[in-house]
Amino acid sequence: MPSPQTPSIAGTAVDPTSSRPPIADAQIERLDPARLRARLIELRSEGFNLLLDVGGVDYLGREPRYDVVYHLLMLPAQTPADVAAVGRPQRRRLLVGVPGNEPALPSVSDLWPSAAWPEREIYDLFGIDFTGHPNMRRIQMPDDWEGHPLRKDYPLRGPAREATPRPAFANKSNVPAGVPPSGRVAAALQRQIARARGEEHS
Amino acid sequence: MSTTPAPPQPRALDVVERRGNVMTLSMGPQHPSTHGVLQVVVELSGEIVESAEMEIGYLHTGIEKSAENLFWTQAGTVIERMDYLSPLGNALCFVLAVEQLLGITEAIPERAQAVRVLMCELTRIASHCVWLGTAGIDLGAISAFFYAFDVREDILDLLELSGGARMHPNYLRIGGINGDLPSGFIDRLTVLVDRFPARMRELRRLLQNNPILRDRMIDVGVIGADDAVRWSLTGPALRGSGIAYDVRKAFPYSGYEKYDFDVPVRTEGDAYARFLCRLDEMDESMRIVRAVRKELERGGPVMIDDPKIAGPPKETIAISMEALIHHFKLVSESFRVPPGDVYQAIEGPRGEHGYNVVSTGDNRPWRVRTRPPSLYNLQSLKQIAPGNLIADLVVMIGSMDPVFGEVDR
Repeated sequence: MPSPQTPSIAGTAVDPTSSRPPIADAQIERLDPARLRARLIELRSEGFNLLLDVGGVDYLGREPRYDVVYHLLMLPAQTPADVAAVGRPQRRRLLVGVPGNEPALPSVSDLWPSAAWPEREIYDLFGIDFTGHPNMRRIQMPDDWEGHPLRKDYPLRGPAREATPRPAFANKSNVPAGVPPSGRVAAALQRQIARARGEEHS
Repeated sequence: MSTTPAPPQPRALDVVERRGNVMTLSMGPQHPSTHGVLQVVVELSGEIVESAEMEIGYLHTGIEKSAENLFWTQAGTVIERMDYLSPLGNALCFVLAVEQLLGITEAIPERAQAVRVLMCELTRIASHCVWLGTAGIDLGAISAFFYAFDVREDILDLLELSGGARMHPNYLRIGGINGDLPSGFIDRLTVLVDRFPARMRELRRLLQNNPILRDRMIDVGVIGADDAVRWSLTGPALRGSGIAYDVRKAFPYSGYEKYDFDVPVRTEGDAYARFLCRLDEMDESMRIVRAVRKELERGGPVMIDDPKIAGPPKETIAISMEALIHHFKLVSESFRVPPGDVYQAIEGPRGEHGYNVVSTGDNRPWRVRTRPPSLYNLQSLKQIAPGNLIADLVVMIGSMDPVFGEVDR
């Protein structure tokens, strides 16, 4: 893990929550983590039945440090094959602040099974734990990866990157030591080298 | 000479374990019918799938992290590479989100909006052509692949003509498009438009009523409307289950409300319904293309009139000091975008393609979160696969049309 003092490369952390522009289609709501599940269940019964997305944002330097964003969609009751009569669906966005120290949120994968993968992704890339998730492990990065790449203090390049531990698989060769290279290409190459050196090789 | 025997390499289809009547099998990640690099660990009872557990991330390239560290003007190049079958759809969504943050959505010239719609509909057809060809190949219908790719080839030629590249032209820019359509473009577009109905008839004749294809697709991979919503399906996958949700109709963007088109919906919810939805969508896209072509007869500017965002006209750089400064500033440090947090969605070929873009007022995005439709559509396989035959797994994966550049990002 890089030290928390590692400067962020993308710039300085500014809280953009203060001056949000009005958003035409979606209503934003800021929530306390403790109220998250209750509010989601409430919204689902109001008709916001499709969970569009769960995403994470890291506001390094702000407390709470992370935002987890839930995008909900209300599909009005409809008869199939009649788009014009469907009316206007609505979007709703819920922002939940998550503290930087031991970040965790309750999982909603029991309410929407589709939340399972994005929650795993947030765990993988931001290190936010979702309690109650049936299968909380890495999804995009290798299982033995260290660190959470989308955190702002995870370096992209520079000396700090070299200090980031490499995963075990990157350091080990899959050819055991002392074993001559096999395969026709390697053999042909060896013969060529031997011929160039003037050695006779069987 | 003695060497230690090499450990057995896992094959595409490999038995992981046997437990009573249940056999666990690993399909992929290098199976040709997974449309990329997807590993599915299936539990089989005889030939019936008991459960399917998917492993993704083999194509993770950190595009979201890369985009955070590029200028606003540069980020579009990596973003186009997420859904590589619909690069202009990705680009449009990101560009619209940034324009929302800049507050210039209303100022985009009409001609630029029309060209954007044209490009997105053309890539939708091209993307569906790839899906049609590869889904046919999964079922052994190889010849249809060549017919579908022939159509796609013509569309890629048009993209090359307009943007300079076949796959990732970076043609849609913040504030408009990168230069007007070249001369000769409309003529070649007209050839494509005129030939299209006959070619669609050809494709439909090859596949739509093909008895083998129908047998393999009808009643396979059924997902009902309720489950489709629970699993957050969008696009043809959702509309194949009877829910008429199309972002172009629900939240119109880039002037889609001006064009007349239908949204194909079917209620069966099986692989064949999704197949037909996509075929019909290709015809509807062509309807939009025809309407846009008429609109393009009128000329007009294609870039917003703001040298801080669009840059100065190229020919003025050598003669105007101010233009040179604008050009230099734009290339060397891009522009700053007011702080904010927006969600912008478009209807991609695979469903609702969403970008949650956060700006902190810097010249780089603070966060670019993508809602990849493929990820959610693919995830629903967990629900769809059990109870089906193992041989139909490739049909179900194909009918969801996943693009792994976008699933793994």
